[in-house]
Amino acid sequence: MSADLIDLGGESRSAESFVTFLDQICERFELDHAAYAGTDPISGTVHGYANYPYDWKSHYRENGLHRIDPTLHVARRSIAPVDWSRLDRTSDFEKTFRDAHDFGITDRGLTIPVRGPYGDIGMLSVTRGCGVDEWETLAARVLPALQSVAVHMHDTVMRSDVLSRALRYPALSKREREILQWIAAGKSQQDIGDILGISHRTVEVHLRSGREKLYSLTTPQAVGRAIMLGLIYPL
Amino acid sequence: MIIVVDALNKDRFGDLLDEMFQLRARVFGDRLGWEVEIINGREIDQFDRLDPAYVIGLDDDGHVVSCVRALQTTGPHMLSDVFQVLLDGEPPLRSATLWESTRFCVDTERLCRDGNTMKAVSMATCELMIGSLEYARRSGISDIITVIDPVVNRVLKRSDNAPYDYVGSTKQMGKVPAMAALLDCTEERINRVRAFAGITHDVFVADDVVRDMLDARHARSVAEAQSATEWLATVCELERPMPAVLPEDIQSYCRAQIENAQTAEERAAALRLVDELVRQRIHPAVHQLVSQS
Repeated sequence: MSADLIDLGGESRSAESFVTFLDQICERFELDHAAYAGTDPISGTVHGYANYPYDWKSHYRENGLHRIDPTLHVARRSIAPVDWSRLDRTSDFEKTFRDAHDFGITDRGLTIPVRGPYGDIGMLSVTRGCGVDEWETLAARVLPALQSVAVHMHDTVMRSDVLSRALRYPALSKREREILQWIAAGKSQQDIGDILGISHRTVEVHLRSGREKLYSLTTPQAVGRAIMLGLIYPL
Repeated sequence: MIIVVDALNKDRFGDLLDEMFQLRARVFGDRLGWEVEIINGREIDQFDRLDPAYVIGLDDDGHVVSCVRALQTTGPHMLSDVFQVLLDGEPPLRSATLWESTRFCVDTERLCRDGNTMKAVSMATCELMIGSLEYARRSGISDIITVIDPVVNRVLKRSDNAPYDYVGSTKQMGKVPAMAALLDCTEERINRVRAFAGITHDVFVADDVVRDMLDARHARSVAEAQSATEWLATVCELERPMPAVLPEDIQSYCRAQIENAQTAEERAAALRLVDELVRQRIHPAVHQLVSQS
């Protein structure tokens, strides 16, 4: 994961930092706009952040487009990213995107749905006004990283509520802690595989899981947090 | 042929899902003896209500021959909610790029019909594996954790699709052991399975094509049922006994009784006898009695 995305897992979280994060997503993945929407059934709150132009955001809000926007209502029920070209051209779709077009917003986009453990659902939507071939190439290239970014953003937004944060205390397995401990000791993933007698890929999949459970985008951040939480020993 | 059915298109493919739930009931309930809940011949659990994605294999007639179910590991899934015992009490892996796959099965009965051999089963299995790996890969997923039994584990190994590792340990789940295996969704793995099965074509088929095929089959079966009814009616017509309801001798006896009746009462009694005989389609005992007299 690149370091040019600010890590949201730290303590200071504000609407401003979420929008900044969306800006960075656009820059890093060559996108025009990004938006996040999520619902937290524990606190009963709905979160929404976007870096769309101010005029479009006001129009969207004032006209209640969030109530019909198919990129939210249809995509939230998928487990896979939903390319907007797959959405049925319903009247809701036409209404949302006819208005969007007037504000210079393209219908070339996709939504990544995220499911959390407590019935919470988040959606990261990204757009780019370009030709279909260019779009498909870009989407295929950035999807794995965008998946991780979407979950990172969702988890962090859900943790802005005290109760939800308490519930989401990182639950790492013995294997995940063990691997982070060896990372803290300066071992490479290859070394760790040899030490533990497991494949390189097994190390990778556990490290990725441990890192995401610690709300971190990079391994060094994950090691720092694991030490802070007393999950591994400082060396 | 592989189709992915999820919350976005399941309204169009209710018939496919119904067939799939019946296949799961036959495989997991009847054949493997898993402790699954079967209602009206369909195996459906709590995770089917969470809008999972189903990767479904179809035969040339559009019948379901294989299926598997995918869920995100970031939300509720089987390893986090019902299969923790497989993980030796450890928390499950949770990652944006890791999906869980469960309920992998193939309809060996249907595939082995019409003189087909296990080759057909192997091909259908490989096509489903290719379909699910490619679908995950296309969605930005890098790895799959799959809950399987030792039989499927052997099938994976035999198809050059061996898990690269396992999480937790094999445990008895009801009557059969289960384990959690890891598969990467890399092109190398997909190519290995493709090479093993000799499958080079695109395994996916468009929603519209499948819908047309199912609708055509439905129309065909209605037409077939219609012509079958007509054919049956014709056959029955031919085999129906010709009106000789009463054998020749009884007919002449009855005729004689009616003709020789001296009074209206005798005539009425003779007519009642005919009526009675016809109604009962001639009781053998009566027949005997009459011919003796």
